[in-house]
Amino acid sequence: MNLHSFDELTTLEIDTLREIGSIGTGNAATAMSTLLGREVRITLPEVRIMEYNEAIDWIGGPETVTAGVLVKMSGQMNGIMLAVQQLEFVNLVLNSMLDMTIENYGELNDLGKSALVEVGNIAISTFINALAGLSNISVDLTVPAFAVDMQGAILTVPMAEYGGMSDYLMTIGGNFVCDGKQVPCRVLLSPDIRSLNFLLKKLGVAE
Amino acid sequence: MNQKITVGIADMQIGKGNDVLITYALGSCIGLCFHDPVLKLGALLHIMLPLNMEPGRKNPLKYADSGIRETLRQLEMKGAQRSRITVKIAGGAKMFEVNGGSLGNIGQRNIESVHTILRRENVRLLGEQVGGSVARTLLFDVDSGQSCVRSFGKQDIVF
Repeated sequence: MNLHSFDELTTLEIDTLREIGSIGTGNAATAMSTLLGREVRITLPEVRIMEYNEAIDWIGGPETVTAGVLVKMSGQMNGIMLAVQQLEFVNLVLNSMLDMTIENYGELNDLGKSALVEVGNIAISTFINALAGLSNISVDLTVPAFAVDMQGAILTVPMAEYGGMSDYLMTIGGNFVCDGKQVPCRVLLSPDIRSLNFLLKKLGVAE
Repeated sequence: MNQKITVGIADMQIGKGNDVLITYALGSCIGLCFHDPVLKLGALLHIMLPLNMEPGRKNPLKYADSGIRETLRQLEMKGAQRSRITVKIAGGAKMFEVNGGSLGNIGQRNIESVHTILRRENVRLLGEQVGGSVARTLLFDVDSGQSCVRSFGKQDIVF
C-alpha cells in the first residue's frame, strides 16, 4: 500500500529511513572532516515527522537568523535538501578555512558566503550520493542556493513545496560533533511523498 | 496592558481592542491583517499556499482561498461588516534562487491568489509589503489597525 501522508509511516520504515540518515550524514561528516582538517563526527541521526509549528520550535524558534544552503533533487527522486548552518557552525567553517570569525551574520563577506555554500553543498552531495548508491537510484541535483535570514522562513521552503500533499514535514538528519563539541548543523532531507514511497520500495521495506 | 497573540503557520487568530497579533518569519507565506475599525476587531491569518486543491479540506487556513473565506466568516459572525473590513498583507518572498526549478514561485503565486480572492470577496486591500527575498515578521495592532514588518538587517516598516 502506498503512503498518503508522512504520519502513516511504520516503525520498520522509520528505522530504515534512520539508517539512510545515518549513512548519509556519516558520509557527509567524513567529507567535512577532510575539508576542514578536523575531526568531524555525527550524533545519532533522527527521523522526525513534525507538524509545521512543531518543526519551527524544534529548529530553535522562528526569528533566529541562520544560513541555509538548499539543493533541489530531481530524477528518480524529488525533494529538497537543506543544510541549516547556525552561527557556531559558521564560525567553525570560517575559522578552519579562512582563519576568521564573525559576531553576527551581518559581518559575513562574499568569501565567507562562498565557503559556507561549498561546505553545505559537499555535505548535501555526499549525503545524496550515499543514499543513491545504497538504494540504486539516480538523483539529479541543482546548483546550491544560499540565503541568510530568519530560520522559520528558511524551513517553510520545503513545507510550502510539499504542503499541498501533507500537513507534516519529514526530515532526516543529524548534528555534527567537532573536536568533541556538538555543533548544531542540520542536514535535512525532505522528499515528496511519491519519492518516499519509491525509495521505501527500492529498499524493500514498503508493504 | 495589551496582549500579544501569536499566530502560527496555517493558523488564524482574532483580536479585539488593545490586542497585538503577531506572526513570525513569513517567507513565501503571506500574513493578512483583517481590520474592522468600528468594532476594533481584527484577525491575523497566516497562509502558506495559493489554492486549496486538497481532497477532504482538513485545514482551510493553510490556503489563501479557503483561509480568507473562513476568516471573513468568523469575523462576520462576530458582527464585522464586509463593507468596513480592510486588509493589509505582507510576505510572498522568494527565499532561495534556484536555477532551473519551479521552486520559489510559491511566493508570487500566493500574492496573486490573495489579490484575486480579496477582489472577488469585495474586501479592500489597504497596503502591502510583499515580494523580494526577505523573511518578515508581521505585527498587527488591532486598536489602530497599524501593521509593522520586521526583517533581518533592515529598519522596521510601519504600514
